[in-house]
Amino acid sequence: MIKGERLVNKKTIKWQNIYLVLMFVVLYAPIFYLMFYSFNAGGNMSGFSGFTLEHYQTLFADTRLMTFIINTFIVAILSALFATIIGTFGAIAIYYARQKRHRQLLLNLNNVLMVTPDVMMGASFLILFTLFIKIKMGFMTVLLAHIAFNIPIVVLMVLPRLYEMNPTMITAAQDLGATHGQTIRNIILPSITSGIFAGFFMAFTYSLDDFAVTFFLAGNGFSTLAVEVYSRARRGISLEINALSTLMFLLALILVVGYYFIQVNEQRRKEKGAV
Amino acid sequence: MKRLINSIVALLATVALLFFVRFQLESNAGLNNDKTVVFYNFGDYIDPDLLKQFEEETGYRVIYETYDSNEAMVTKVEQGGTTYDLLVPSEYMVQSMIKSDLLRPLDYSLLPNFEHIDSRFKDLAFDPKNRYSIPYFWGTLGILYNPEMIDGKIEHWDDLWNEEYRNKILLIDSAREVMGIGLQSLGFSLNETDDTALMVATAKMKALMPNVMALAVDEIKMYIAQGEAPIAITYTGEAAMAMEHNENLVYVVPSEGSNMWFDNLVIPKIARNIEGAHALINFLMRPDVAAKNAEYIGYTTPNKSAIPLLDPEITEDEAFYPSDETIEHLEVYQDLGQEKLIQFNDLYLEIKMEPR
Repeated sequence: MIKGERLVNKKTIKWQNIYLVLMFVVLYAPIFYLMFYSFNAGGNMSGFSGFTLEHYQTLFADTRLMTFIINTFIVAILSALFATIIGTFGAIAIYYARQKRHRQLLLNLNNVLMVTPDVMMGASFLILFTLFIKIKMGFMTVLLAHIAFNIPIVVLMVLPRLYEMNPTMITAAQDLGATHGQTIRNIILPSITSGIFAGFFMAFTYSLDDFAVTFFLAGNGFSTLAVEVYSRARRGISLEINALSTLMFLLALILVVGYYFIQVNEQRRKEKGAV
Repeated sequence: MKRLINSIVALLATVALLFFVRFQLESNAGLNNDKTVVFYNFGDYIDPDLLKQFEEETGYRVIYETYDSNEAMVTKVEQGGTTYDLLVPSEYMVQSMIKSDLLRPLDYSLLPNFEHIDSRFKDLAFDPKNRYSIPYFWGTLGILYNPEMIDGKIEHWDDLWNEEYRNKILLIDSAREVMGIGLQSLGFSLNETDDTALMVATAKMKALMPNVMALAVDEIKMYIAQGEAPIAITYTGEAAMAMEHNENLVYVVPSEGSNMWFDNLVIPKIARNIEGAHALINFLMRPDVAAKNAEYIGYTTPNKSAIPLLDPEITEDEAFYPSDETIEHLEVYQDLGQEKLIQFNDLYLEIKMEPR
């Protein structure tokens, strides 16, 4: 069997793989270019003149920036969490909508929000929070807005899992006298878990890099990384930002690898269970 | 199901930990009283050490927030919902904010250091008697060029029309700046509104277009620093940044006249801590503080008493600290009114469309 696989590989290695490698080079080249210069002693990105960790030191000494990094993560985790909870039940509700017409309408309303430009979302929230529901700008306003724009993403990630689910399971559960709560807890949620996690991670990354909405709603000393980096760009990006991007990239990498191992473990356990 | 609940607990624990770290960071930064001053400024436009120094000296705590453009700042100030005690708008925005009644008159009994500001930069047309604003930094529009890439020297606006510079100039993409170059090279004022003068200036700028390689804004500093073009027309601040990266560059303010811009400290009507804002303005006008700040940012300070404290190499550079004679010819933009603004924009569009 191994021999056969090798033969197949030899034949198909050429164009597909070259194309794939090329694609990933295009995707990753700018990131690696940026990471490379974060170690530049020269102080700018026009030439590499020596290795230094100085930019990392200034980054960690910059408490203002560190506070913003922490703010960014707090908002990202909390908003993704709330959006996942709200969005999952929203998706279940859409799944159970009786008439197909209603379901389609709800889904379309959800999709409209997905494609609404961030700037418009930000401006509308700004008007909402300053004119109608008067909340002081800051942590709460940013969090509420992030939850709001994250919900449609979660719904879109969870809904396909619901359709993949075997509906006879639910009928069986109901036949056996399960209440609604029991059906959701024991049948629906376990079968859509992977969709929920995917939704959470998508929402997390959306929140992490959002600039436009946050820009309108930050204030009173609360701001996030995207807003800060953007206003610094007026004076040209310093290598401190390169160092920061490098660390953020590594963190994201660790998270993804971690998630991958959890999934692999799970699959193995399932396979064992099946055997 | 268990996995979902475990994940939620883990996430909440992470958030709690992050909150704890953030609290630690902030208490280190001096979060011990509620005497806070919210300073809303352009990104990276103050030496961060000075904020710490101010906090230690006065016991106030500074919340420093940043924006990237005058327009964005005004939007947030107008909408309310946030408190800002101190802002740094440019001169044209000061004028328009006074008009829309967004600023609070300054109390000079709290600002004894105002005497250090150079009297040449006091009482300007955009804010007569400095009722609302105090200059923070100032600069000019000028010509930045790389002597290694071209023959000859550039000293005047008229030198740009030299046929040798065909397709070599990066021009700043902005109506009033471009029209201003045309007007000043012909000896008119920047704020000229006479139709004939505007027509002549437009014709003159159209004649420059074959020499123009591109119209750009923020990218100019990068292109010229990397040698993509030999000549650029840009502001002092941008020029200073480009010169940091490329030592060959020379910045010239044409002696026959140019635009002069100001970024100013103002207190908005929505400010809560008015006393603290005055204290911070007064602190920033102290000669040693102004000198330290000017060294960090690299722009030109309007603080007369700070200049002797700066490195003479900086202050002797006529590009950044121009001679009295040049300053006399510099002009600040004035609000020309909606109608003239539209005319300026239309004429600028004609210049841009000129075939090269």
